Parts: sequence; structure tokens; C-alpha cells
Amino acid sequence: MNMKLKMQRVSQQARTSNQQSKFQITNGMFIAMMVNLIFVKAIGVTQGVLARSIGQDMWITTMLGMFQGMVVIYITYLVLRKTPDLDFMSLAQRLLGKWFGKLIALVIFAFFMAGFGPVMLTFVYHIQDYFLPEAPLILFFVAPLLVGALGCYYGLEVMARLALVGMLFIFLLNVLIIIGSTNEFDIRNLLPVLENGFPRTFMASLNYDTDWAFATMLAAIVMPSLKNAGKIGGTTGLIGIGASGLLTMIWSILEGAVLSSEVTSQYTVSCMKLARNAHIGTFLQRYEMIMIALYSIPILFEVMFFIYATSVCATRIFGLKSNRSMIPIVSVILGTYGYWIVGDHYRAINYLEETWPRIALPIAFGLPVLLLILRLMLGKKLNKQS
Amino acid sequence: MPADQVAKADKADKAAREQEELLSATFTPKLNDNIAIIDALLGKSADLQQREFRLCGNPDFPGVCFFVDGLADTLVIEAILKALIVFGEDLHRDPAAIPSAEELRTTLLVNASAKTATRMKDGIAAVVSGDTLLLVQGMKEALIVSSKGWKDRGVEEPSAENNVRGPRDGFNESIRTNTAHVRRRIKDPQLRFDPMIVGTRSQTDINIAYIQDLVKEGLVDEVKRRLRGIKIDAILESGYIEELIEDAPLSPFNTIQSTERPDKVASALLEGRVAIFIDNTPVVLIVPTFFWQFIQAPDDYYNRYWVGSFFRCVRYLALIISLVLPSIYVMLVSFHHEMIPTALALTIASGREVVPFPVILEALMLEIAFELMREAGLRMPKPIGQAVSIVGSLIIGQAAVQAGLVSPFMVIVIAITEISSFAIPSYSSSLALRIFRFPLLIASGVFGLLGFAVVFFALLLHAMSIRSFGESYLAPASPFRPGDQRDMAIRMPIWMMNERPDFAQDSQRLGENQMPQPPKGGTT
Repeated sequence: MNMKLKMQRVSQQARTSNQQSKFQITNGMFIAMMVNLIFVKAIGVTQGVLARSIGQDMWITTMLGMFQGMVVIYITYLVLRKTPDLDFMSLAQRLLGKWFGKLIALVIFAFFMAGFGPVMLTFVYHIQDYFLPEAPLILFFVAPLLVGALGCYYGLEVMARLALVGMLFIFLLNVLIIIGSTNEFDIRNLLPVLENGFPRTFMASLNYDTDWAFATMLAAIVMPSLKNAGKIGGTTGLIGIGASGLLTMIWSILEGAVLSSEVTSQYTVSCMKLARNAHIGTFLQRYEMIMIALYSIPILFEVMFFIYATSVCATRIFGLKSNRSMIPIVSVILGTYGYWIVGDHYRAINYLEETWPRIALPIAFGLPVLLLILRLMLGKKLNKQS
Repeated sequence: MPADQVAKADKADKAAREQEELLSATFTPKLNDNIAIIDALLGKSADLQQREFRLCGNPDFPGVCFFVDGLADTLVIEAILKALIVFGEDLHRDPAAIPSAEELRTTLLVNASAKTATRMKDGIAAVVSGDTLLLVQGMKEALIVSSKGWKDRGVEEPSAENNVRGPRDGFNESIRTNTAHVRRRIKDPQLRFDPMIVGTRSQTDINIAYIQDLVKEGLVDEVKRRLRGIKIDAILESGYIEELIEDAPLSPFNTIQSTERPDKVASALLEGRVAIFIDNTPVVLIVPTFFWQFIQAPDDYYNRYWVGSFFRCVRYLALIISLVLPSIYVMLVSFHHEMIPTALALTIASGREVVPFPVILEALMLEIAFELMREAGLRMPKPIGQAVSIVGSLIIGQAAVQAGLVSPFMVIVIAITEISSFAIPSYSSSLALRIFRFPLLIASGVFGLLGFAVVFFALLLHAMSIRSFGESYLAPASPFRPGDQRDMAIRMPIWMMNERPDFAQDSQRLGENQMPQPPKGGTT
């Protein structure tokens, strides 16, 4: 009886600390949140990294990465399928006790904190380098963190709804870039295919894996808020990763075919080069500002979700009831860390290409697999408890 | 608390207690005692009339009636007195037996509304509402006869909600006239007007209107709960109620719709919403409210759907322009001029050549000047107001450009912005948009694209977080409700709008296959 009560309390904590006791997100919102999280960095900086490592096959690496992401998101679903009211942290607590739950919360916190570097790098290098080169760096941290904290304060419902708007903007952005780039599209720039061989191309896809890693960790936290997560969580996750991959591939194909992989590889923010290159007729020679306006919701959503995720993890670590009190604290921590990474350009690029994959990939692949194994081993215990 | 304030509070408490005691008293058979209590409660107010009479012409049955001059119709009162004094003689053959109030009500008074009262509180409330209070020596109860009859403003077209096609009638200050306007449009027996009184001193009549089988379960109770929670001395206008029951009291967004048009209220009720009628104001409140309703106009539904949809799209454009055009202009010219097409950039630059101020200052100056002119034009008598507008817009604008204080392009931008703000059908929400324009403008002028994005998204997030009586403020766009899109960005044909909005209880609105299908080859 005591154990049952304890388990009920764990589920309740999973819900209340995420401010989601009443609100359930729809599958459309869940997909939109995943797409927003993946798309921003994937088109912003990842394509440049891919171009540097694999040349014109960057669209293939994106596709390969997408398939890997689909596998991992399904594993994440399998982990949570039988207990859809639990997130990774609550599940871990049920499986191996309170301290294991806190350890998992710490790992996810570390993941999002480390991931904040590349996210801010994407944001800052887009806005500062291309639009406001004379503005102080601190401004590019304070502004999104304020908006992010505000959205996070309003809760998951508002964030999920913002993600839907963001998804609409992503579609518009893709339509604009297709319209503006088709004149210069040259398919010969994408040839030869698999020039570096499949193994190297596959290895390069690990860079894109760091992007869908955000989405799997999102699922690890938000899945309990999804309506009928136990039934539709897997399909929804697959659609989310698939849609993100396809939307990103449009950019990798265009960057390869329009700019060529050589030019793409010269830029940190290669998508801006493509956006600057786009034009509609002779009067509208440049409209990258419209595109950056469309891009801003997904990127602000990304900042918002990172604050949300870290605040939820911190809440679990410290055993608090609501994540609201943690929002300003984690915002400061994330801001400081992001500032340190982005402040030095060389450090930022090195972090993006070397350090971040080493942090992201073990967690993104390892955590779902570990929890699935534990679940299979300790499934009976879990069933007994529930 | 200082001693004098304590003494004042004690005195006020004592007076309130005394008044409460008198009000809770019941009528007695002794006429003089009743008159003394009424005198104590109402005092010798100039508009309070006291008319003595003898029931059935019998000197043993003296009586008195109270009414408020100006509120009560004297012809009605004369008819009442005639019935009591003259006709009573025939009906009551035994002059020694005093008739009861109920007997008088049922046998003598022919008025549509007459009732007996035992409590002094009811009698006083009736008198100050325009009814007549009748007291007779020896009668244990009082009689309240309806005699309301003050001068109303006629039914006129609402000045702030004009339309080209559609009804011209508007609400006035009489709650009963206003409810009648709606009842005339919806003759459904399920239409309800639940009464309520708010304001300890104003005792303002409020009616909560809804269609019983359409309104969402719990919505009427929630409206009543919020209204009952109001503790205030007086309600002088619907704005008081609005501010006391809204969901987001700190937000500049209007979460309660207000209108002077009966057709709008009828339409809202048919969508399953609740209307709040308040006496002494032509403005009726409607809940729940969605942001997009402020962009919709009755003409959208009275004109054919192509026209309605087109002009609705024009209004969406007006919304965007009125909110962001000055900010985008300032942002582009101050920070991101490389984004402006070259030919256009050169035109703007040549216009700004002689202007000594930064663009943000130029925009703020013009915006403030326009707000001044708008406010002055509104407060001044109509003929002078028009003159101020002409002097302001034509003469000062032209002079400012010639003097090199502002650029012609900026004048055009601000003029388009202001015209756009007037294209928004809801005046109150166009005022809110004006307020939002200033932080956007300042942020864009100081931080460029980043400032604009931050303020804009903060506003968007805030709007997304708001609810109006349990419904998301930005619905049906966010959260996206596919079924409600038929009347969102565009207005689909009436024969396609077969369902009520998502939140209504009974969804079916139209029968099957309502699309007109004339016989092939013309009429037979």
C-alpha cells in the first residue's frame, strides 16, 4: 500500500513539476515542438559542419541521421510506453530509487546546459553577424533569455502553442527559400553522390544526430503531457523526426546545389549565405530579414525550451514542487555558460564540432537504451508497483 | 490609523448600521410609523413626492403614496389614485372593513405590474427605481405599483460601430429597451435574461443573457459568480464591470467584447456566448471573447461571402500595419538599410537629407502629435474638432515637412498607420493596439531587429497565455481549431457554416444541403 502511494506521488510530481497537471499537448503540438528544436540548429550551423566533413553529400548525411533519430525516438517511446504518465526521471526513480532519478535528472540537465552553447551560437551568429554587428554580445543573451523565461513562466501550453506557430513559420521560410533559390539551382553541384563512400558519409551523419538529440530529450521530458502518449507516442515521435529531417534536407539540397558544398563549407552560418543569395525578381533582391523574422520564433522557442527543460531537471534534483522558482536561476546559469562559449569564436566552433557531439551522442543514444534495458530487466518490479 | 479617521470610520459604521436596521423593518398597520421610517431613510429629498389620499374616499382609511418625480410617470400615478379613491367606493360596500393589500391588487389596480411588499427594503428599492409605493392606514402590507416612466434617448445608430448594410438600431441607456432589442431578434423560449443587482449605492440592474441550450455548461455560473463577487458602491458604466470580472486585469488586451449593436449581441448569443446588459449604458458586454472577433464586422455576414472575406482580409492587413509599420520602417532605416531595395532607399534618403532628428525621434514626434490631435478632436465640440483635424493633418503636417522637421516618407508611414488603426471595427481594441505600438517602436529604434523581435514575441506569448472565461484568447488560431476556421481568416458562405463554434453546447446550426441548387434550365 505504502509503495503504491509512493508511486502515485512520483507520477504526481512528474506532472506538477512540469506545470502540466491539467494541460495535455496534442500530437500536432508535440511534432511542432520537435521540429522547432531540430530545425533551427540543423539548418543554421549543422549544414556548414556537414559540408566541411562530407562535401556535397550533406543531404544524404542528413537523411541518414534522420533514420537514426527515428530509431532512437522509437526506443524512447518503448521506454515510456507502458507508463505514459512518467518521464525519464520519474521512471528512473521508480526503477532504481530516488537517487537514480536524481542522477538521470542531472544527466539531462547537463545535456541541455551543454546544448545551450550551440543554440546560442546559432542565435548570436545569425543576428549579430548579419544584422547588428555593433551591438554588444550581452544583448544577444539577455533578450532571448528574457523572452524565453517569460514563455517558460507561462507554461508548457503556451510553449506548445508557440511551437505550432513556429512550425507554420518554418513552412513559410522553406517556401521563401525555395522560391528565391530555384533560379540558381544546379543539380550538377550535388554530384557525384557518395563520393567519400558510405562509411564516411554515415560517420558524418553523427553531426546531424546532435540535432535530433534535442528532440529525443524533449520527448524524455514532455512525453507524459502528450495526449494518449502510450498509444500514439511512437508514431508521433517518428513523424516529428521525419518531418524535421525532410524540412532540413530542403536546405542541405539547396545549399549544395545553389551555393555548392565548397562555398557552404566556408561559412559558420551557411543558411544565411543561401538566404542572402535568394531573390525574387529584380526589385526584391534581398529578403533575408523576412526569413530571419520567420526563423526567430523557432529559435526563441528553442531557447525557451532549454530553460524549461533545465528548470524541470533542477526541480527534480532539488525535490521542489514547481519549476517556476528555478526559471530565473537556470536562465542565469545557461546565459553565463552560453556567453562563455559564444564569446570566443574559435572556442565556439571547436565546441560545436568537437566537444558538443561527444557530450550529446552518448546521452542521446545511451540514455534511452540504458532505460530500456533497465525496464526490461526490472519490468516486473515496475508492473507490481503500478 | 489617526484618531480623526477612526472617529470618521466609527461614525460611518454607526450610520450604516442604523440604515440597515431601518431597512430591515417591516411595514406596520400604523401609517405614521411607516412614513416616519421612510422619511428617516430617504430624507426630504427634492425629487421625492408624497401624495396623501383616502382609500375608497373613506376618511378612516388615510393613505399615502411615494414616488420619485422624474422617474415615475405621473399619468400612471393618477390612474392608480383614481382607482383607489373613486372606483374603490363601489367595490367595498362595508366602509368599516379595511381591505388587504392583496385584495386591492387583485380587484382595483389594473396595472400590468403590481405586487405587495412586507419589508421596508423592498419598498424603498421600488421608490428609487421609479415605482410607486402605496401605504394605507390599517394595512399590514404595502403595495408596489410599476410606474417607471422617464425620458429615454431614442433608438439611434451606434456612432462607433457603423455599417453599410444591416440594421441601424443601437442600444440606449435603458436596460429593458436593450433586452427587448435582442428578444425581438431571438424569439427562442430558451433565451434567458437572469437579473442581478450590483453596486451597494447605485443598485444597478444587470441582466445576464444566454440561450439555455447553447451556452457551455458552467459558463453562466462563472459569469454570475464573478458578478456576485463585485463589492462596489456604484456602477456607472459597463467599463466598471469589465474591469472587475476580466481574466487578465493587468493586460492591455481586451478580454471582454463590448458593443452597442443588438445584432452583434444576438449573433454572440446564438454562438453560445453570454451577454451582460447593464442599466444606464448602451454598451453590452459579451463573454467569452477572442482576439479575432475585434477584426470581424457585422458587414462580413450581411454582404456576400466574397466581399465579406475580402474586407476581412483588408482588416487583417490593417491590424498588421497599425501594429508594426512604424517599427519596421524605423528599424529598417536606422539599422538595416541594406534590406531596403536600392531605389526605395535612395528616395527615403533624399527625403531625410534635411531632417536633423534620428528616425526614432521623428516617428515618436509624429505619433505623439497625432495622438494629441486625435484626443483634441474627440474632446472638442464637433465643428471645432473637425477644424482641429484639418489644421493638424494638413497644415501642420505640410509645414513640418517643409521646415525639414520630418521627412515626407515618415508622414506617409504614420498616416497609413493611423488610417489602418481606424479600419479596425472595435474602437477599444484599436486603442490597445496604439498602446502596443509605442514599446515596439522604441525597441525597434533602439535595438533594431532584436528589439522588435523580443517585444513582438513577448506580446505574442502574453496573448497566448490569456484566457477569456476559460477559453484561449487567440482561439481558434492558437490552439488551432479546424472546425472554427470557417469564420476566421475568411468568412465562408453561410451555407457552409453549418456548425457553431467549438465551445457552444449544441453545434448544429444549419440543416443538411443548404447550398442553393436552382433547377437546371431555369424555373419551371
